[in-house]
Amino acid sequence: MKKLSSGNYAVAEAVRQAKVQFIAAYPITPQTSIYEKISEMEAQALLTGSMARVESEHSAITMCVSASMAGIRVFSATSSQGLALMHEMLHFASGNRSPMVMVCVNRAIAAPWSLGTDQTDTLAQRDTGWMQFYCEDNQEVYDTVLQAYKISEKILLPSMVIMDGFFTSHFIEPMDFADDADIDQFLSGSASPDRFDIENPTYISSLVNANDYLAFKKRKFTDMEAAKEVIAEVEEEFKQIFKRSYGMVETVETNDAEIVMVTSGAMTSTGRVAIESLRKKGLRVGLLKIKTFRPFPYEEVEEALRGVRKVVVIDRNVSIGKGGIFCSEVQSAINNSSVNPLVYGYIAGLAGMDVSSGVLEGIVMEVQEKESPDRLPVWVGGN
Amino acid sequence: MVEIKFCGRGGQGVVLASQILAEVFFRLNLYPQCYSLFGGERKGAPVTGFLRVDEKKIYLKCEIKKPDHLIYLSQDLVNISEIESILKPEGMVLINTPLDVTRYEPLRKFRLVLIDAFQIAEEQGLGSTINTAILGAYARASNQLPLDILEAVVHDLVPAKADANVRAVKQAFQMKKIYP
Repeated sequence: MKKLSSGNYAVAEAVRQAKVQFIAAYPITPQTSIYEKISEMEAQALLTGSMARVESEHSAITMCVSASMAGIRVFSATSSQGLALMHEMLHFASGNRSPMVMVCVNRAIAAPWSLGTDQTDTLAQRDTGWMQFYCEDNQEVYDTVLQAYKISEKILLPSMVIMDGFFTSHFIEPMDFADDADIDQFLSGSASPDRFDIENPTYISSLVNANDYLAFKKRKFTDMEAAKEVIAEVEEEFKQIFKRSYGMVETVETNDAEIVMVTSGAMTSTGRVAIESLRKKGLRVGLLKIKTFRPFPYEEVEEALRGVRKVVVIDRNVSIGKGGIFCSEVQSAINNSSVNPLVYGYIAGLAGMDVSSGVLEGIVMEVQEKESPDRLPVWVGGN
Repeated sequence: MVEIKFCGRGGQGVVLASQILAEVFFRLNLYPQCYSLFGGERKGAPVTGFLRVDEKKIYLKCEIKKPDHLIYLSQDLVNISEIESILKPEGMVLINTPLDVTRYEPLRKFRLVLIDAFQIAEEQGLGSTINTAILGAYARASNQLPLDILEAVVHDLVPAKADANVRAVKQAFQMKKIYP
């Protein structure tokens, strides 16, 4: 059914429709309306499961990991400081192979305080062993939450479904909501495995020697790589029923492009407008959207950038002492490959600073003029 | 594409006004996109609502800086030089005010619409809830919004006093002053 919804309300609806059995969360701007909507649904007896309104994000994630060990489908959502507070337990979630799904609404990390969108909060969780999916609009967030349960429950690694604060979480737009019955069909046979067996007691989070530790890590690593195939399969099943698919990466007009702009999240959507406008001006420009960040789709990125002379990665995040994080990842993905474009790094839109189509076009024009990239990223906007 | 900016204060129904209008456009098979900015979620603080509408999907995920239509629910927020710098030349500005048009002389180069929404809200027993009267005036001034659909959406979306709000829409639709 088509109706108007914000990104956050769409998430709540996906959680209801996925028949999530346990939700634990703590409110934080801009995630709060997910928390409120799910609470409201619980009060109206619309949820399959129950919600725990806990005293901190650390407790929220801990309850979710524990509950998911017992074989039920769980959900949490957070932003910024809340995600930072969860950090140590994120490792427990992936280490104990919990298939939980969490929505992270990007918001700048303090200090200083800001409410605006900024991907540094989720990218700082890059190495926690979670899959990460950066979505560009409300529809993609909704679809990806549903897909993430199936992917996580198959591969036994947790998923972060990520959207920009305000530009996605609070923008209200027309969306396609699926019928409950179609979602039941899509998710049928998928479940969180029950690993508490009274007859066969085992121990989790045990203290192990270095050899066993290595075995756990290698297994997690190879399974994360194998997740790529599962992501593709689940997308295909989703497409059969709902007629929509996204891919780990998406390319727009890259075939004959001399310059390719690399974006993630909501900036991709605005980027589509910028590409169209630049093409009308006669520039051979394309767009590479990176949706799946973990596992990193290095083969797809390499393929998308083959034959391209200049690549400009626009990051709404920054690793102090290095540069844009997507930029670093793209550079390392094509290193030692047969693809060798010049890679330009730009930092734009931190803390929700507006990135219009005009700003993106300006960046591409500048890159066109510039013979070689700077060693350090170029900062856009500000004083 | 038309871009609309609503300026008001917390408690006046700025956010709901933009959402009602978005729903009207949606029922007209157009593609609306709306969002709000808060100075702080409390009564009296400035609140800004934004709405884009187009015939096809809107991809822009950025702020509205140069609106086609500017709607002031609170006249004390009107800043003439700011309006002159952001409003498109062929744009429209709608102000909730009991004042005469002479007070807004520099804005007559735009399409200027004045409505005393507080008076209407008071007559309809709506207190300081003026958003529905504003939308009635907007429907008339924009010449594009079917009154029946606006009334139906207002009836569906307002949290209380649905009939009084619909009457406020009707009354404002008649009462607006449009210059030129």
